[in-house]
Amino acid sequence: MKQHLGRQSGVQSVDVSLIDGKVDVTPKEDGQIDPAQLLKAVYDSGVTVAEMDLTARGKIVKDAAGNFALQVSPNQSFAIAHNDLLKTVEPLADSSAVVTIRGELYRKPAGKKKTSASAPLKLLILEVQKKE
Amino acid sequence: MNTRKLALLFLLGSAFAPISQAQIKHIEMRVEGMT
Repeated sequence: MKQHLGRQSGVQSVDVSLIDGKVDVTPKEDGQIDPAQLLKAVYDSGVTVAEMDLTARGKIVKDAAGNFALQVSPNQSFAIAHNDLLKTVEPLADSSAVVTIRGELYRKPAGKKKTSASAPLKLLILEVQKKE
Repeated sequence: MNTRKLALLFLLGSAFAPISQAQIKHIEMRVEGMT
């Protein structure tokens, strides 16, 4: 799995801890990495992802339907799920402010139901680390 | 003329600078079934 992940585009290094089942992925300097592709790569190597967390720096944007997203590059953004922490960054929407957010991008649903790794990822904010 | 061009470049640079600094810093996964 480590080799499989290491071959994905944008991946600089992969650290795997067999003891606690943790996989740390460090993106390359430009940060151009696709979490959905990583999720698929892990599933393809025969391992189930229970949870995926992400730390990213970007701008808060709001679409016409009123949904918020974290834009990390001109062509990459993550829809933000509603929770109390979203309220703290809502006022920054469509401003030039840059925030660093740690959030949960994927969590395996409870039960034995088989889920698709290609389902759209939604960012549930766990921590707002920095507002600039 | 040159001053206007420089001012325009500065404005464009300011507009794009924040997003060019944006990026994914780290990804952490908890996996099951790893041997």
